[in-house]
Parts: sequence; structure tokens; C-alpha cells
Amino acid sequence: MKRRNFLKMMGLLSGSGLASACKPEGSKTFISYLVPPEDAVTPGESSWHPSTCMECPAHCGVLVKMRDGWPIKLEGLPGHPISDGGLCIRGQASITRLYHPERLRQPMAKNEQGQFEPVSWEQAFERIATALDEAGDAGERSRFFSGRTTGALRQLKEQCCRALGIRCEAEFELYGHRALRQSWQLLQGREAVPRYQLESCDFLLSLGTDFLDTGLSPVDYTAQITRLKDRPGSLWWHLGPEASLSSLGAQRTLRLRAGSEQMLLLFVLQQTAPHAKRSLPAELFTTLPAPALAEVAEATGLASAQLEELILRLSKAEAPLLITGGAALEGESGLLLAVLTALIQYSQGALGTSVNLSDGEDFASVAELHEMQDWMNPPGVQEKTGLVLVSQCNLLHDLPEGGEAVRSIETARLRIGMGDVPNETMLQMDLLLPLSHPLECWGETRPRAGTLSLHRPLLPPLFDSRGQGDLLLDLMRIRGKIGVPDSYELMLTDQWMAELGETGRHELLKTGFIALPVAQQSTELQLEALLPLLNQTTPNPPPSGLRLMIVPSLRTFDGRSRPLALLQEIPDPLSTVSYGACVSISPGLARSRSLSDRDLVELRWGSGSIRLAVKIQPGLDDTTLMVTRDALDRLPHRQSESGGLLLGSIPVELRPTGQSSETLAILSGSASQQGRGLIPMEGKLEHELSHSLYPPHSHEPYRWAMVIDLDRCTGCSSCVASCYVENNIPITGQQEHLNGREMSWLRIEPYYDETGNHFLPMLCQHCHNAPCETVCPVNATYHNPDGLNVQVYNRCVGTRYCSNNCPYKVRRFNWFKAQWPSPEDKRLNPDLLVRGRGIMEKCTFCLQRIRAAKEDAKARGRRVNDGEFTTACAQSCPAKAIVFGNLLDPDSEVARLSLDERAFRVFEALGTEPSVYYLRKKAPG
Amino acid sequence: MIEHRDDQIERDVLAAMGRPGAGWWIALATSALFFFGGLILWGYQIFRGLGVAGINNPVGWGVYIANFVFWVGIAHSGTLISAVLFLFRARFRSSFNRAAEAMTVIALMTAGLFPLIHLGRVWVFYYLLPYPNERQLWVNFRSPLIWDVFAVTTYMIVSAVFFYVGMLPDLAVARRRLGGIRSRIFRVLSLGWRGTLRQWHHYGKLYILLAAFATPLVASVHSIVSWDFAMSIVPGWHTTIFAPYFVAGAILSGTAMVITLVAPMRRILKLEAYITPAHFESIAKILLLTSLIVSYSYIVEYALAFYGDQPPEAGQFSYRALGDYRVFFWAMILFNSVLPLSLFIKQLRLNIRYLFVLSLFVNIGMWLERFVLIVSALAHEYEPYAWGTYSPSFVEIGITLGSFGLFFSLYLLFLKTLPVLSITELKEHQP
Repeated sequence: MKRRNFLKMMGLLSGSGLASACKPEGSKTFISYLVPPEDAVTPGESSWHPSTCMECPAHCGVLVKMRDGWPIKLEGLPGHPISDGGLCIRGQASITRLYHPERLRQPMAKNEQGQFEPVSWEQAFERIATALDEAGDAGERSRFFSGRTTGALRQLKEQCCRALGIRCEAEFELYGHRALRQSWQLLQGREAVPRYQLESCDFLLSLGTDFLDTGLSPVDYTAQITRLKDRPGSLWWHLGPEASLSSLGAQRTLRLRAGSEQMLLLFVLQQTAPHAKRSLPAELFTTLPAPALAEVAEATGLASAQLEELILRLSKAEAPLLITGGAALEGESGLLLAVLTALIQYSQGALGTSVNLSDGEDFASVAELHEMQDWMNPPGVQEKTGLVLVSQCNLLHDLPEGGEAVRSIETARLRIGMGDVPNETMLQMDLLLPLSHPLECWGETRPRAGTLSLHRPLLPPLFDSRGQGDLLLDLMRIRGKIGVPDSYELMLTDQWMAELGETGRHELLKTGFIALPVAQQSTELQLEALLPLLNQTTPNPPPSGLRLMIVPSLRTFDGRSRPLALLQEIPDPLSTVSYGACVSISPGLARSRSLSDRDLVELRWGSGSIRLAVKIQPGLDDTTLMVTRDALDRLPHRQSESGGLLLGSIPVELRPTGQSSETLAILSGSASQQGRGLIPMEGKLEHELSHSLYPPHSHEPYRWAMVIDLDRCTGCSSCVASCYVENNIPITGQQEHLNGREMSWLRIEPYYDETGNHFLPMLCQHCHNAPCETVCPVNATYHNPDGLNVQVYNRCVGTRYCSNNCPYKVRRFNWFKAQWPSPEDKRLNPDLLVRGRGIMEKCTFCLQRIRAAKEDAKARGRRVNDGEFTTACAQSCPAKAIVFGNLLDPDSEVARLSLDERAFRVFEALGTEPSVYYLRKKAPG
Repeated sequence: MIEHRDDQIERDVLAAMGRPGAGWWIALATSALFFFGGLILWGYQIFRGLGVAGINNPVGWGVYIANFVFWVGIAHSGTLISAVLFLFRARFRSSFNRAAEAMTVIALMTAGLFPLIHLGRVWVFYYLLPYPNERQLWVNFRSPLIWDVFAVTTYMIVSAVFFYVGMLPDLAVARRRLGGIRSRIFRVLSLGWRGTLRQWHHYGKLYILLAAFATPLVASVHSIVSWDFAMSIVPGWHTTIFAPYFVAGAILSGTAMVITLVAPMRRILKLEAYITPAHFESIAKILLLTSLIVSYSYIVEYALAFYGDQPPEAGQFSYRALGDYRVFFWAMILFNSVLPLSLFIKQLRLNIRYLFVLSLFVNIGMWLERFVLIVSALAHEYEPYAWGTYSPSFVEIGITLGSFGLFFSLYLLFLKTLPVLSITELKEHQP
């Protein structure tokens, strides 16, 4: 090409390029979508989607916060019939299950060396098909074990089993409320878990029940207890040997000896009969033993006066309600206790008002007492098992060795495990099929009659996993594709269309839950069937010696939440133990055996023993030892007449070993307030600024503050988990906890004093005269115009002087660089920093939320309204104990509550002028 | 006659600067080994994070700050012996002043490292300095740590100048008497000192001026260091007695360290003629006096704590005596308050061996005092839930040993490079 031509061409090209780049005025405006695509991700903006938490059987509704395509936080779903805006500690932590580094990433098969190696789904199905054929030829029985399912999944599971010729076994739940269900089977001819309406009673008597921590539906019942306490004149008593959130939260707690519940209930039934609202047949009372007052007092360890007062209160109350639950019902006489409780409930007119059988938790498909017996008894005839499928339960860990179920699993031709993070049972299987997290797949659940709640994919599966529903459909396709729906989503859609209609389905998809009609219940009892059972009743001999109670853990429930590191990191609110297994003993027992915290003891029972470290637990009965389910490798089992799982209390021997544990992380430095009056019992808050050398801060128009109601706080620690997830707080692990370096910005401090038991949520108090601010040499912490004590991470050099000078000890130093192994880094909240090492951090009052609310209000040209947003801890609280807002707005809830006569601030005398107000407990009654 | 004596003094003192023996080399190598070990551990700490130390929540300050206060305290007696005793015309000071001044400068260099070592992000240590910057970020002048920066820097500069100025005529002697490369170095260092009347006149003026200038620093530096604690609201730290208590404690530990260093030096460098038991007795009297002041402070602290009816304060002091660190506490009482009482006996004051052993105990006791004071106060603060304990990690122990390594390395170098006694003053004071 000639140079002249080249230049011509270049001129033409650049000229036309320039000309085409010009646009007429006005085209600079962005055009938004008329109808935005449904799954569009707007970078940098959060969206909220309803879903359901499947971490425990309660199935609370959650709102999932999505950011850039990743779920980053779960919050309670307001209006949900079960949780209504609250969420528990396990629910908050369940987001970490999605990003768990040890999740199964693809199907795995065990090779000859016993090692798992990846296989494709096709290979896995092929192997299942072959094994099914072989088992069919050999005439072997195949079995499907699973954890509790409800609704469509339960039906699909049964269909799948029919299609494959597999026996669909009863579902396995360690805490299956078996005694409770069977008692209603006896009394009403239909098994049911009742739903208690705590608000509609005026005297609640809870016996051994743990409904605030792990019972039927902790979030629901915590909210209900709050409403009950708000009712004037209402009273809540708790009876029981254990220390639990219920026993510490009740307005009065009577310590009972473990094993004496039966005697107490018989006494109550007999004594309240004259005042009964509905009469029971007289022959009942003649059949049942009538223990004398002195006898009961002796057996229970209660004073006669206490028992008399109890009977008096029960008789006087207009709508008394007795609930029995927890370890008592899991023991040997659980069924009898449940029946006696039901009789008392009936006679006091609670049935149909505060005890509702029609819309309780649906455990219909869960194994009953006799089914559990069949599983646990040694196999009668040795029968070869073909296939065993185990889905989402930990049978081999929870059932005794040598039982029928365990033997059949162990000897099966092919063992298939389904789940997300492998548990002990899955590791014994031959083939592992990864299940998707509820946030990755479609599903519905009907935890209670009358409640339908859904979850749906909010992100494509992180790994090569499938939803439980889709996996069951895939299994069905092994035996032919005809009649099998294309996907679980389509199947659910069809079902919802048929059941709810088009509008109902839309409502469900929009809100995430829907109420279904409930059949009315009968309020009569069938006592005829009962008499033979009661006839055989002889009161248990009064318990003697020490008894060991095995209770579900607030943090890991029946052990299923053990893989979630966050739940190990947050201490148990009662014992403040984070890492390490321990047995709780009462201070009295510790004194008499000269034991102290961390001493190793050996516990011996009939067939087994275990070495555990001691944690002294105030509030516990002197003859009762308490361990959580997850502290025991295998459960002690009963081989007696009933053969059931022994989860109640068992006689135990305690033997000190003289050694002491070095791995038990106890976070609390003292169980007592040491007379320092952190929670003053009296005195009104004086709103008078103390004298200061420095000019006062001016705060216009906002001064953020928080009010925490200690009367409502149950110590459930859901706020702590919420704070961890919201604020990217790193998990430090056992060694760092032993070194005293936990990172929690918010902690629950239990204090057990003569003046009462308290849970004190402690977080940065955002002091007006903050001791940390004056001592920082580089001004890295200062008071901002909104009244917040803020920490400038970039400026911090890490002298830790601020932490030394903080009387509340809420500042946290980054000793090391926090690790966020993939894919856990995906759940980090992008609204705030991940802090580097060598700097101080602490509660910010969720500064990122404050900023978002302020910016939003600014765009709308107004101020932030009260209640428009709240902090992560306040949002999650099932008891609504935390209120956050602007203290300068006289109409705000915070301003109103801060003037309450119960209001106080911790260490008021120091003159730090905290922005966190506490409301002390109300006087009962 | 006098000239002969002058000659003798010069020869004796400069003989100490002669070719070092095997002992010196071994001592230096050992010290340097510790120092480099400490450096490596510091590097490890910077690389991994401060978590490799044992400090935690609630004990945010541990051995590092104890070391800082300890070394600043050691640095105290230098100025005291040099400046204050100079102003009081206490003659025995000339036996100790050079050694004490060197000890001051070296201890300050060691002490100055610890505020850096304990920082979470040492790489931005300059944030602690008020330097002009485009973002107009200033340090927080309300923070005692900033006062510390100024106080310690001032003290360091004044001590170094005082040390150097006092040494000028001696450096000139060394220039004259020593040959080779050392003569050339001392020629530069002695700044053209000729010993003219005019120079002596200026020298005297400057020296008394510097002494007067340094004297208030004796009180101020350690007062300000004490305010690191006293200005906080931590029970056990927040008390007005801290300034005088710390100054007395600093002088106690400083005099003890002087004895620890000078007693062997006198023997090894054969300076018995110049540093006599009588001189030691005078130092021992200072030690006794300050020990009594320190004991008095201990008593006052306890009396106030229990008189004040403040549960956290009273709780702190019972914890100190009966809690996790009680062994250290009672050791501290024994070493700092009880053992020095023996110095009421004149024979013991004159017994250099006894003084040497006692001084070691006082050194340990004063280190323990700082440890107990810092750690037990932080371990049991206001909030009972947040109570905790602390024990130093191998990194902290290693860096502490490293600081002793640094101190002794520099001191050993001083012994062989500079005149260890003030030749000028020895000449002046000879009978």
C-alpha cells in the first residue's frame, strides 16, 4: 500500500470513528429495565428472599440476604407462623453450612482400600441399580432410613421406596417426642405433639422442659414466654433438676431431684382434683397411688411449704398450664409422666385452650417407642440386607451397637449415605450422595399442621450436589422414567397449584409461607384404654445417689450441628464453655467432692464409662450431673423391658481422677458479680452528665443507643451468632479460646448470685465519656457525631491500651490474620472490612446498617424513622429483648425505654455514660 | 608528685581499655547470641502476628511493658548519680558516674525497643510521632503514651549529651595516650579539646547547666511512665501515688543495677583503688532509702484500696496478694522491702559481695514488681466475666532475654572502648 493511501484510509477510519462516537444531547440517561429479570443481580445491592431454616426440626422462616449473588446472612422472617422475625443461634449459624469447607463436593464411593474417591452421578446410579437387581435376585430386603421429613418430601420418599421396592422405615429423630406422642395416642387415639399456647395461661408450670433452648420450637416458645411475661399478673414457675435456659429464665425455679418427677405429678394430680375444672373419673384416683406430702417432699427434695404453695397456686389460677418435657420424658417412666401431665392438663381445662393437639409439630412419620425397640433389640433371625439408604441422620452414632438396625446397616450389600457434611454414619457407607443446602434447591416443609413453608434455590449449587427431592426423583428413574416428574420443582408447583390454587401459590412464593386450614380437635379423653396402664403404676422408689442427665445442646442440638465451627466458637450461655466436653455439677456437689472447674472425673454407669472435665454449674440440683448429647461418643443404652433409647437420667458413679483437663475452654472468669453490682437491684438511673474535663459532645440529629431488657433475655445467644455472621468476626478455634483470645463482639454473661440469676448481654457500650478514646495515642478510636464510639482500623497501631482501659472489656484485638478458607470467604459481608492483624476491633452498633439507613433516608429527604432498621443482634432476638434507635428522638422506643424505672447502666458510678441501657428483671407477679 | 599520680590514674583507667581477654569475648559472644536470638523472635512475631506472645484478653500488656518500665527504671540512676549527686557535690559519685551514665544510655536504648515490640503493627510506628502530614492527622495529646514518647526521647537526648560532654576531657586523654586507629577516632570525638583554661571554664559551665537540666528529668520521666498506668481507670493502676512511687522504684532498681555492674567491673578491670567499699556504702544508703520509700508505697496502696470501699479496687489488691500471681507478689515484697532492710547494718553495707548478691535480688524484685503490677491489675479488672490469666510465651521470654543480651553487649563494648571512670574527676578529687 502506498503511503498516501494508507494516510487516506487512516483519516477515513479515525474520522468516522470520531463521528460515530458523538451522540445527541440527552442520551446520557440510563434506561432501567421495564421489567427487571427475576434473578438479576444488581452489583453492590442487597436483596432479601424468604426461605426456611432446616437446621433443626422446628423449621423457622428466614429472610436470606443476598449480595452479588451470594447469600450472606439469615434473619428471622417477620410474620412467619413459627418464628415471626426471630431466629435462634443454630438458625443464624446455618448459613455457614452452605459454605462449609468439608461439604461433600461430588458423589463419592469407597474403594477396596476403604478410601473414598469421586465418582460421577451416572456411575453412582449405575451402582445402585446393579445392587438393587442383585438384592432383588437374592431376595434381600432393602431399607431406607432417614431423618424427619414432612409434606411433599415425605410423600415422595414413600413413592420412591415403592418404585424401587425398598422398605421405607420410620424416620429417625433422636429427640422424637416419643413419650409425648404415645401419651396422646393412648388418650385420644391419635398421636400428636401438642402446641402450647403459653399466652393463654396465667400460671405456667414447666417441669423439666427445655422449650427455650432445644425443645419443640425454641424461637416460637421464646416469643410466647415473652408475651406471657408481658401479661400482668401472669406467673411462670419451673421445676426440674437441670440448669437450662428455662430453669434460669423462670420467675421462680424449684430444684427437683432427677427421677422424682413421677411422684410429684401424682401428687399434683391428686391434690388439685378437688379444684379441677373438668373432672376425671373417680376410679382413676383410686387406681393411682396417692403419695403423702411428706413422702413427696422427701423424694423431690422440696420443702413441704413449697409443695403446698405450688398446689395452692395451681388451684387458684384461672388458666394454669403444666408442661412436662425435656429429659424427664426421655427417661424410663417418660410415657407415664406424659400421661399424668395430660391428665392434669385435662382436669385443669387446658386442653383445647392452651394445649392444642391439632396444630402441633408434625412428627407422625418419626419412629415410635416400639419401632425404636425393634431397631435396638438384637436381630432375631439373621436376614441379609440388600441396599441401605441413610439420609440426613446419624443412626450409627446414636443407636447402640449390636442392635437390629445397626447390624443390618453394617451387613448390607450396598450402603448409601446422603447428606452435606459427612457425619459418623456417612463415613461408614459405601456410596455418598451429596445433598444441596436448602438455599440451593427447591423444597417445602410442613413442620406443623397448618403451616407450609418453602425454600428455593437462591444460588446454583456450589458443588455437584442435588436437592433431596430431585435426588429421590433420580433414584426413581432407575426403575423407569415413566410417570416420574421432570423435577422436584415441577412436582411441587403442580402440588401447590392443586392444593392452594394460583393465588395461593403466588402468595406462597412471595411470602415464603402460607397458613393451611386445620381440622378441629376433640377435647375429650379416652380413659378406658388408659386404666390398665395406670393400674400397673407403682410409684418409683425415691431416687438415690447421683444421676446423670443427658440433654440436647443449645448449640448442636442432638449433635447434628456439630460440624458448624461457629457454634463451637460461641460459648454455651449457661456454662460459658466453648470448646471441650464437660460434665456440669452443682457447686454443692463440687464442694463435697472437692472438685473444681476442669478437674477430670470418671463417670461410670451400668455398661459404660467416660472421662470428662468438670464444670461447676450453679442452678443444678446437688444429686444431678448434666452432660450434653454431643459430649458423649455413644449414648448409654437401656436393654430393659422397654428397650428404648435412654436419654433421660441414669444412675451414675462419679470418681475423681486427680487430673485436670487442659483443653476445656471456659470463657467466664467468674460466675458471680463479686458484689460489684453490674446489675443493680434497685435505684433509679440519674440522667446527669458527670463532670468532665472535656467539652460535651454534640449530637444532632442522631444519638444511637440500645436498650436490653434483661427480663426478656433468655440467654439463647442467637444475637451472638447473628453478630458473628453480620460483622465478619473470625473464628479463632480452641487453642485461641484457651489462650483467652475469643473475638466475639457481643457475649452473654451469666451471673448467678443470691440476688438472682441473670444473663447480661455485653457489647461495646458506646460510652459518652469513653475511657478508650482518651488513651489511644493515635486517635484511632473517637466519638463520632452520631454518638458512636468508632474504631478507625487504618489508624490503629495496636497498643491495646484502649482494651486495658475498657471497664467492660469488649474490645477485641486481632492477634493473627483471620483465615477465611474457600468457600467461606463468599459469605463475608462486603459492607464492612475484614480486619487485618495487629489492630483492635469491637461492636460498631452495626455501623454499616446505620449508614445504609441514613443514606436511604437522605435520598428520600427525611430523617431515619424509628424502627426503620435495627442491628443484627436486635433483629435476631426471638424475645425482642433488644431495642435500638435514636435517643434524641423523644418518640423513639429507645428513648421511652431508657426512662423506664427499670433502666440502669452497667458501672454507672464510673461516669462513662454508656449508650447501652439495660432494664432489670421485673418483680414476679 | 601530683603529676605522677595523674599519670598513674590515666594509665590505670586507660589500662581497662587494653586488649580484651578471652573472658570478655566469651561474655560478649553470649550476650550477642541472646540479642540476635531475641531479634529473630521479634522478626517471627512481626511476621506471624502478636498472637505468638502470651498476652490476651484481658491482659493486653504483659512482659513487654514490664520490660519497658524495668529498663527505663534502670536508666534512672545514671542521671541521679551523675547530675543530682553532682549538684549536691557528693564526691563518691566520681567512682560511679561514668558507668552509671553509660548504663543509662544503654538501658534507654533497650527500653525504647519495647514500645515498638509490643505494637500490633510496628510497621506504622511513626503514627505515634506528631509529624506534619497532608491529612492533618495528629497524635492524641491526651494519651499518656504520647507523653511517654516525648518524655523518653527527651531523657534519651539529655542523657546522651550529658554522658558525652562529661567524657570530653577524658576522650582527649585517650587520644593522647592511645595509639593507632583509636587515637584518630578519639581525635574526632574529643572535638579538639586542648585543656585550655577557656575550655575548662566553658566545660564547667556547660556541665553544671546540663546537670541542672537533667535533674528534673529524674522526677519527670518516671512520673510520666507511671502515668501510663495512673491515668487509666484500671483498679490497681489508677492512683495518685504512682509518680513518686515509680520514681523511688526506678532509683531503687537503678542503684541496684549500678552495684550489679560496678562490683564485678571494679574487680576485673582492677579499679579497686578508685572504687572503694566506702563508695559502695554511699550507694547502698541510697538503695536503702529508696527501698523504704517503695515499701511505704506498697503499704499506702493497700491501705487506700481497703479504706476506699470500692469493691473492684479492694478485689484487685486481695487478688494481687492471694491470687494467681501471689508467688511473684510475695517474692517482690521479700526482695524489695525485706532484704534491703539488712543494709541498716554497716558491715553489710561495706561488704561488696553481699551488696552484689543483694542487688541481684533487688533487680529481680523490681522486675517482678512491674510484672505483678501490670498483669494482676489487668487480669482482674471491673468485669468479673472478663477475668483471665496470662503467662508469657517463649517469644516473650526470648525477647526479654534478648534485651538483656543487648544491654550487656553494649555495656561490654563500652568497657573496652571508652574510659570507664572519669579521669578528670579522679584527678580533681585526689588528696
